[in-house]
Amino acid sequence: MDIDDILASVDRGAGASAESTALDHQQLTRFWVAERAVSEVLPWPAPLMERVMDRVRLQIETIEDLAASSGEATPTATHNPNLNLRLSILQTDLARTQYIIRSLLRQRLSKLTKHSMHYLVQLASRSKNPLSQSQSQSQSQSQNPNMTPEDSIPDISTIDNISPLSEPEATFVHAHQTLLAGHYGGSFMGAFPRALRRLDDNAGGTSMVQGPEIKEVVFARCLGVEVPVIVGAEDGEEVGVTMRMGDVWVVRWEGIRGLGRGERLSYYDL
Amino acid sequence: MAFPLPRGITPTEIAFLAEMETVTVVPRQRLEGLELLGGPIEPLVPPRRASLPLWLALLLKRQRRANIMPPPWLHPEALSLLLEIESQHQDYKNAFSPPPRLPGQPSIRELQDGAMPVARPQYTRDGDKYYPAPPFLPQNVAQSTISRDEVPPLPFHWVEVGNMLLDAASDDLVDPDQVRRLLKDLREVRMAKMRSGVDVMDAAATGGGGVALTGVGAMEISEERGFLTGVVDGLRKIGASKEQARREQMAEQRANGGYNGTQDDEEEDYMEF
Repeated sequence: MDIDDILASVDRGAGASAESTALDHQQLTRFWVAERAVSEVLPWPAPLMERVMDRVRLQIETIEDLAASSGEATPTATHNPNLNLRLSILQTDLARTQYIIRSLLRQRLSKLTKHSMHYLVQLASRSKNPLSQSQSQSQSQSQNPNMTPEDSIPDISTIDNISPLSEPEATFVHAHQTLLAGHYGGSFMGAFPRALRRLDDNAGGTSMVQGPEIKEVVFARCLGVEVPVIVGAEDGEEVGVTMRMGDVWVVRWEGIRGLGRGERLSYYDL
Repeated sequence: MAFPLPRGITPTEIAFLAEMETVTVVPRQRLEGLELLGGPIEPLVPPRRASLPLWLALLLKRQRRANIMPPPWLHPEALSLLLEIESQHQDYKNAFSPPPRLPGQPSIRELQDGAMPVARPQYTRDGDKYYPAPPFLPQNVAQSTISRDEVPPLPFHWVEVGNMLLDAASDDLVDPDQVRRLLKDLREVRMAKMRSGVDVMDAAATGGGGVALTGVGAMEISEERGFLTGVVDGLRKIGASKEQARREQMAEQRANGGYNGTQDDEEEDYMEF
């Protein structure tokens, strides 16, 4: 960190409104491209999305005010011949931003519905000690004679840290998986022996919960000075190729996902 | 079905993204500044030049309210030089011509003189570092001075910007027919390079490896994405057991190293953190 960094970090505090609009828009766009490209759900940037949604609301109000003023009085139309042009520009801009947000949310929903159990288990396992959890699971399994597939869905209502999901997304995933489990139970799983009715069954070393494939390749551009590709963080790190500034590489997603959130968003785009 | 599109942005989405590129326009009428969600735009006062996002420039152009200044690379002279580099130059037989430099990135000549790249981050409202990238870099704005000895590089969104300008603003370009021909030739030369890169794709299938595609364009990525990711994923699945064995071997070596704890190993461990 040099003096420029310090100055820049002080600068951003005051009166950066107009600039931050542009910056937030750039971040939103990059987040959208990244979310469209990788196989798993990326951490939800809550503060950024709140600001963007606030601005969208304000912009809709502005447009409505302008449209109302153009409709009610004819003299203003001659006074301001550009009003229609301004309106169409504002509306195009609004539609473009709304398109990004919609596409982003729908992409996330499609990932969540595809691997809903995986994300629920991931959330639940983070908050509890995995050992005690599996014990209590096996206990309840042996005690409960009316075991249904719904019982194997982790309860996430008490969890504080729901990253990478947003709150509505977490509620949605839970409701979705409960419905799905009810359907499975009603249509075929009810006929299974009790011990086989769990959705997160991992007997025989094969987990029934499928997660996204993080080994798939993505296209990445290095924006920092140097970024190493690191593979296999849990079982001994292995440092692969080093990307240099301006390079575009085809690399495994797992090789670059380990970079911290802020860094990751700034180091590549896809 | 929450979302029908395949993963990785599609050509239409890339065109949408390319419309966020900034271009230079010469307005033909006044327009006061506007606060857009994509950032504020400056007031338009003819005949002063202004920088606008491409979508807005095209909107004004279609209504004959502005003229678009073509970017420096979208010129028959620059394009034929680029085509010559792509097809004849020894250094770029198997690589794309170098992309526009990122902010803080030294040119090849400066690199030879020992200049180091310096990443200059901006800071977001949340305090994270942010490095701008295309389409938010001024890669398509008109330049007042074009240096004689440096060929203007092809920007990331060259296919899309080139085609959109040819469609909507061909009367603002120099010799649009020639430009169209050259763009097509460039595309073919570069597509052939992309295809010949299939040989090295095995590298991307192994653990920490990758394939460098520096200088590639957004549309070119999109064309090859399905094929490339498919092949690499296939190769990865074929090589999965081999990779697993190598991992285990490395873990074993590491365990043994810990046992006999030689000086070198310790140093290596230290270096990792």
